[in-house]
Amino acid sequence: MNGSSFMRPAVILLFVAALAAAPFAVNQGLLFLIGIAMLQAMFALSWNLMFRYAGLASFGHAMFYGIGGYAVAAIIFHGFPLPFLLAILLSTAIGAVVAFVVALIVLQRAAGIQLAVLTLALSQLVLLFVSYTDFLGRDDGLSGLARPVLDFGFFTLDLRSPTAFYYFIMVAFALVTAGLLWFVSGRFGRVLLAVRIDSERAAFLGVDVRRKRIFVFTLAGAIASFAGALAAPWAQIISTDSMSWFNSAQPMLATLLGGAGSYWGPVIGAFGLILVNYFTRTFVGLSEFMVGGILLFVVLLAPSGIAGFFEMLRRMRNRTRTASAREHNQ
Amino acid sequence: MSVLVAKGIRKTYGSLEVLKGVDLSVGAGETFAIIGPNGAGKTTLFKVLTGEVSAQGGSVSFDGKDVTRLPAFVRARMGFGRTFQVARVFGELSIFTNVVLAIEARKVNGGESCGRWWDWRPSADTSDEARSLLESVGLGRQGDEEAGLLSHGDKKRLEFAVTLAGKPRILMLDEPTAGMSAADRKSTTNLLRDLKAKGITIIMTEHDMDVIFDLADRLMVLNYGAVVSQGDPVTVREDEMVKQVYLGKGVGHA
Ligand SMILES: Nc1ncnc2c1ncn2[C@@H]1O[C@H](COP(=O)(O)OP(=O)(O)OP(=O)(O)O)[C@@H](O)[C@H]1O
Ligand SMILES: [Mg+2]
Repeated sequence: MNGSSFMRPAVILLFVAALAAAPFAVNQGLLFLIGIAMLQAMFALSWNLMFRYAGLASFGHAMFYGIGGYAVAAIIFHGFPLPFLLAILLSTAIGAVVAFVVALIVLQRAAGIQLAVLTLALSQLVLLFVSYTDFLGRDDGLSGLARPVLDFGFFTLDLRSPTAFYYFIMVAFALVTAGLLWFVSGRFGRVLLAVRIDSERAAFLGVDVRRKRIFVFTLAGAIASFAGALAAPWAQIISTDSMSWFNSAQPMLATLLGGAGSYWGPVIGAFGLILVNYFTRTFVGLSEFMVGGILLFVVLLAPSGIAGFFEMLRRMRNRTRTASAREHNQ
Repeated sequence: MSVLVAKGIRKTYGSLEVLKGVDLSVGAGETFAIIGPNGAGKTTLFKVLTGEVSAQGGSVSFDGKDVTRLPAFVRARMGFGRTFQVARVFGELSIFTNVVLAIEARKVNGGESCGRWWDWRPSADTSDEARSLLESVGLGRQGDEEAGLLSHGDKKRLEFAVTLAGKPRILMLDEPTAGMSAADRKSTTNLLRDLKAKGITIIMTEHDMDVIFDLADRLMVLNYGAVVSQGDPVTVREDEMVKQVYLGKGVGHA
């Protein structure tokens, strides 16, 4: 038995406790950023779901984040009489449907670099479409979005309070993270890993590779839309930035930084990026410089990211431990 | 009755004609061996039969059904099981998980339950089956090791267990003993003989003639993508054409 089987639950518990304590410990600005970090972490997890478990590198994933955001923003902005939870659900569903259609078309043949280029091009097309649509506020987007009050009959949840909304996001983040972890740890996750490692070999086990990939792409699109749908009312604004190539790069950077080989890598990376941005906010350009520098460092010295780096340390420690135990026995 | 029938298979890579109209018919429970010098087209023929690549001409039928246009995964579900000349295992996963994957895929495709839907671990049934399969190929003790770290011969054995986990009706083995030690070769041959006794249909290529003469009911010799000779092993061995193909090498050491 190695140390990490005790360490991991402890670290996760500590992380959850820190998130829960944040509203009492930090100022409004930082609280807002931690909320964004959780949403970006979900976004990054969904990207790595495709990357790690199906071998699909999408370069246009922000398309779905933006679709979810715009859907919910339009409902709020134009005052459609739809309860907030249903609006979130509907936005997620729209993202899932679009992702499914994109997957049907794009995954027909494309993989690797073709997939990257196609998804990037599609996301730019959607962005262009949005920037010409009056209903969606053209280039300016939709701003001044009112945060909702959830009415459950027997009690109400007033999300106009930043703390309440923060906890709302935290619960969503916990549910998505736990649900996804359960999903990838099970039978389906095993099959997906096989598809990514050697899709041809997996086919000879009777696995319908294309169908699995379409499913994963759709699920990832749905989760990204869900994150986007929460981000719009949290920030009270949505603009085409949400679907820009820059935002598409965020989950990739987070995954690279945190480590694609670990489930928690994208979460670590997303929080890391937000922290770098926060601590360098007063120096224009410093955050890009820092992010660039850190990434260079990670790629050169810890190619499997922060999570991979800790894993490597653990293995090294175990190895020295078994080696010294062996010496001891002799 | 024939289980697998191929007619007039033609396959070209660019201007290279790798298979020049190959016919073959394998009966139920038969062990059918394909031999031939390097580059004869044996692996390519396997790929066409299993659906990994499509041929320019000809047809393949399985159990009387035309499968020529069916993709590999559908053929696998119909009962094709194959191993590769260079064993392909899921290297990042544990040995145990490799086999579990195959068992679970078979169960799902056969409409069987894989245990409680919310339980992320393999069911007790699946685990037991995986362990006994690993036991049968002599990898019983190493389940937790990463498959990618196995020796070449052990990878072959693992791949064999993975393929058997699919309970195939026809086993297609591309050089099952290539790169194995003499002892491993012996145990693989024994394993194959047991499977043969159970009535499973086997198609194999092999360079080791001892293995071939030990197991094969029928033998086909391929050279430059054409069938040179076909029949029971003893007759084929005496065939003048075959001796010419293997000239200087001696049939026993081809
Ligand atoms: N993907 C490919 N593209 C081009 N040529 C190929 C390809 N695959 C095989 N070939 C060629 O087809 C011919 C037959 O190859 P094949 O692998 O089927 O032979 P083989 O009988 O299995 O040989 P060996 O005994 O060495 O395994 C060879 O000349 C090979 O170079
Ligand atoms: Mg070959």
